[in-house]
Amino acid sequence: MRSSGRWVPLVAVILLVGLLGTTALGAEPIKVGLHAPLTGFAAADGLSVRQSVELAVKQVNDAGGINGRPIQLVVYDDRADAKEAVAVAYKLIEQDKVVAVVGGSYSAPMRAVAPIYQQAGIPMVAGFAVHPDITRAGDFVFRCGMLGPIEGAAAGEVAGNVLKAKTACQMTMDNDFGRALAEGFRKRAGELGFKILWESLYPLGEQDFTPYITKLKQLNPDVVFTSGYYNEAAQFCKQAKDLGLKAQILGEEGFDSPKFIEIAGKASEGVIIVTNLNRDDTRPVAKAFIEDYRRLYKMEPDMVGASNFDALLVIADALRRAGSTDPRAIRDAIAATKDLQGATGVIRRFNKLGESTKPIQVQIVKDGRFRYFAEVGDPAIITPPEK
Amino acid sequence: MFWQQLVNGVTMGGIYALVTLGLTMVYGVLRILHISHAGVFALGAYIGVVALRLSPNLVVVTLLAMLVCGLVGVLMQRWLYRPLLGSSRIVPLIASIGMFTLMEDLFRLAAGPYVLPLPVRVPFGLDEVTTSVVTGNQLVVLSSAVILLVLAWFVINHTRLGLAWKATEQDFETAAAFGVNVDRAVAMNFLLGSAIAGAAGVLVGFYYNSVYPTMGSVPAYKAMAIAVLGGLGNVWGTVIAALLIGIIEAFLVISPVGLFLPRDSIAFVALILVLLLRPYGLFGRR
Repeated sequence: MRSSGRWVPLVAVILLVGLLGTTALGAEPIKVGLHAPLTGFAAADGLSVRQSVELAVKQVNDAGGINGRPIQLVVYDDRADAKEAVAVAYKLIEQDKVVAVVGGSYSAPMRAVAPIYQQAGIPMVAGFAVHPDITRAGDFVFRCGMLGPIEGAAAGEVAGNVLKAKTACQMTMDNDFGRALAEGFRKRAGELGFKILWESLYPLGEQDFTPYITKLKQLNPDVVFTSGYYNEAAQFCKQAKDLGLKAQILGEEGFDSPKFIEIAGKASEGVIIVTNLNRDDTRPVAKAFIEDYRRLYKMEPDMVGASNFDALLVIADALRRAGSTDPRAIRDAIAATKDLQGATGVIRRFNKLGESTKPIQVQIVKDGRFRYFAEVGDPAIITPPEK
Repeated sequence: MFWQQLVNGVTMGGIYALVTLGLTMVYGVLRILHISHAGVFALGAYIGVVALRLSPNLVVVTLLAMLVCGLVGVLMQRWLYRPLLGSSRIVPLIASIGMFTLMEDLFRLAAGPYVLPLPVRVPFGLDEVTTSVVTGNQLVVLSSAVILLVLAWFVINHTRLGLAWKATEQDFETAAAFGVNVDRAVAMNFLLGSAIAGAAGVLVGFYYNSVYPTMGSVPAYKAMAIAVLGGLGNVWGTVIAALLIGIIEAFLVISPVGLFLPRDSIAFVALILVLLLRPYGLFGRR
């Protein structure tokens, strides 16, 4: 009997450590995954994605985390490549056991991984990938950004109803992103009744636009709707100015980068884009994002970053409401998102397909900065499909 | 429209010629597919960005890039290719691809993934001279390309060095027996080829006002196709093939064909045709 009594203090210590352990477990970080194209052709976007999501995590954790637990971000590079993204998805699911994922990469890799997260039952919120098929993978996949065809339709709306164009041409980048935009623009042009004189496809990474611009000059449309990432966009605008193209250039979110203005220089003045971030937004969340980003990283924020910042906010908000880290509960909480303030706008709700509805921002380059030009809020244009 | 389109094509052709020239020169002498040549091209552009701090003058920037790239070319020949010369030809090829990948990632680590601008000042305000047919920037690229190609032509055809290259190309040992310093000839070959690639890097960086880590990846394989089209090792065949590809691209991309045949595939379609019909290149004789 005496000998067993000797164990009492030890058992107490073990129990105490155990208790401390559980409180320590209470502060155990919640792992959230992030896909970002950190290297390769999209590396600049990848950097913006990583910095913005890290900023969102920092803001959430500084404000007390998720019911006391901090979010821990697990970032992997997918090089904007579908094959790499698949490997990243399995790593996040099996090795890191994340509870939710921010899909901060391009359309092609996000399309490839959406069914994987669906099957594994891990919710993914895509930041700025625009392809319609991504959310069609199932009920675990959501999108914060815009759908390509909707963004394209908004551009068509700007061309027809704001700029009063009678004729237009389309310079379409030949990938999922460019084609999805072109489809929406074409449809809206048909509805508004302005004419598309010519539609050209150019390959991703194109640098020399002079042949296309020479032809555009000859056709002389009122508006040229151009899709492209900031480098293609800058080359197009620069060479269009050199060759003396008179048409109004109308771009999209791919133009939305400080790099576009830096490379295109004076040729960027007056270019109008449809995008997801209003630089002149006065809501506190948007202002905090823009100002913190400038202060922390000494560079201009862009829509790529803002969209993924919002994706993390959606997950954080859902984690708070779910009160659990069970992926199923998180998914249900995301699906029940209501009027969440994000940097890109107020996310009213996610529809059955996992799409969000937000007004589309129209910005114009003035004195080397993106400024407010208009907003497309017509529900007939911006409401995403339910199936 | 036709003339402007032709100028658009010739400008691209001039750029392709400068990028491909060094590649074909190296193949001519050493029979090595020098993929990392495209890395030297990108290096030239980055040297240009650094050189901007010394002087914004295009000529100064280009000369500095040529100097550094020429030296890097010689170092590559010394430390990368010379130790591998005895091995099977696939070995230096793989080493070269490895070197190219390494260089791209070094650029990214050193300068970041972002596109950097290259705002050089052009002498005589040449870039402001814009007519209905040719823009100022195109004039700059075209005139620089002509100067560099004439320089290469002169060295190859009118100097003892050029003669030494021809002798070395025929047979290393015989050339050495006749008093050619083979080692020096090969080094000079890399020096000139890499210097021209460096100049091309600056010109492309200026023309597009953009310098970025992967700017060499399209030139890496397109230059290879153009070099084969021109007959590997045939310098003039290369220049003509480059101009042809540039012009064909300019006219094809805006035609209905361009909708299903992307621009960068055109060089390869031509490559396949040439390999089937004229395996020694458009102008090859063997």
